Amino acid sequence: MAIVTGAASGIGAVVGARLAERGWRVAGMDLRHSDSDLSLQVDVADRDAVRAAAERASTDLGPVSLLVTAAGVYEIVPVAEISAERWRRMLSVHLGGVANACWAVVPGMLASGAGTIVTISSELALAGGGPGDAHYAAAKGAILGFTRSLGGELAPTGVRVNGVAPGPTDTPLLDADSPWRDPDYLKTLPLGRMVRPEEVADTVLFLVEEGTYFAGQTISPNAGAVI
Amino acid sequence: MPAPVHGLEGKTALVTGAAQGLGRAIAERLAREGVRVAVNDLEASERTDEVIAATGGIEAIADVSNPEAVEAMVQAAERELGSIDILVANHAYMTMSPFVEHDPADWWRNVDVNLSGTHFLIRAALPGMRAGGGGRIVIIASEFGVVGWENATAYSASKAGLISLTKTLGRELGPEGILVNAIAPGIMDTPQLDVDAADAGVSPEEIRRRYASESPIGRIGRPEEIAATVAFLAGDGSGAFVGQILQPNGGTTRSLG
Repeated sequence: MAIVTGAASGIGAVVGARLAERGWRVAGMDLRHSDSDLSLQVDVADRDAVRAAAERASTDLGPVSLLVTAAGVYEIVPVAEISAERWRRMLSVHLGGVANACWAVVPGMLASGAGTIVTISSELALAGGGPGDAHYAAAKGAILGFTRSLGGELAPTGVRVNGVAPGPTDTPLLDADSPWRDPDYLKTLPLGRMVRPEEVADTVLFLVEEGTYFAGQTISPNAGAVI
Repeated sequence: MPAPVHGLEGKTALVTGAAQGLGRAIAERLAREGVRVAVNDLEASERTDEVIAATGGIEAIADVSNPEAVEAMVQAAERELGSIDILVANHAYMTMSPFVEHDPADWWRNVDVNLSGTHFLIRAALPGMRAGGGGRIVIIASEFGVVGWENATAYSASKAGLISLTKTLGRELGPEGILVNAIAPGIMDTPQLDVDAADAGVSPEEIRRRYASESPIGRIGRPEEIAATVAFLAGDGSGAFVGQILQPNGGTTRSLG
């Protein structure tokens, strides 16, 4: 059984659908309803709520053997205008969302001696973002560090933690007029196009099904945005 | 759960250094995915015959550090299989020695085979890939190329060179639909470990035990795990990877390469 956060749209929705195709039962956590075996409407920034939702998922669908954390928000705000509240919200959803979900599922994985966790960060965690991306890039960078650290910590236990850092991906997270969709920007990428959410999902599937010697790694399908 | 499918049925591949270890596992995995494989190694042997029999592939013998031999080999493979869709540069030469004591000719042999050999291979396979409208190149680098390794300056330098070659060719060839990526494996259970054992003055069993204990995941890697990573990088699901260095290494290093 898999828990996918951010399962209502974008990368999380495609990951959930691909996992279902591959025979997984999927519990989706999202603020909104997700099309999954069990839709859990929860704010991933709320540690207690995530724990309760994960308990519900394992009661209904069985022990959690896979966690994919895709929940995220994105906004462009010049750094001087990022209020403390916005800053904390960005960190709470991304770093907090990942940590909360891990806190909820890792004890069960440790008890069973196996489990797989895949975090979704961003190429902006690797290279930094554009103007107005400071809080998002910081939050995604924090996921990168968290993944490396937890991956090392849990590797001896049989729980594998790795990450995927997608490049600009064609999902509703990016507005129609987002600079990451600008043809002039995309032309600068070696592949000259956005990343398709299916490509991110297939990367997650690889790490889950066959990436058995990856631990604490983050791999980046990014169309060449960060090399 | 269904077996992973990477959409490789009917593709062609050249796998270098395929007589044993990682190369053999890669060739066999690709063959299982329906790829027609050209099996390269330095010389024909019972081992290459076994891999050819196991994969239903063809023989492609050449010293990859010899550019003329590489050209001839690639042309012969192309005559039999058609242009090469997937090039897996897995060949390696490794000798270890304290830096100042390393015989210069042997030092350069590491670089000639590992780094220059890969250049010759890509140069030879590129026209066919271009004519075919794209391709995948998977370069087998090494954890040594990411973090270095004592008494392995030549090998580590050659592998770091491959990482830089991957990044540069990722940029250069990506726009043509030829995706270049690398895998930097950690310690793998291959005959190469016997070299390390000799360098350390311990038995092959002891070196395996020692390396396993040093890895966060508590074991050395299996060639099949690298082969699976190659299949992913050669297949449909990895179309947004370009110039990337994947590091299946059990968690020993978690940087980006």
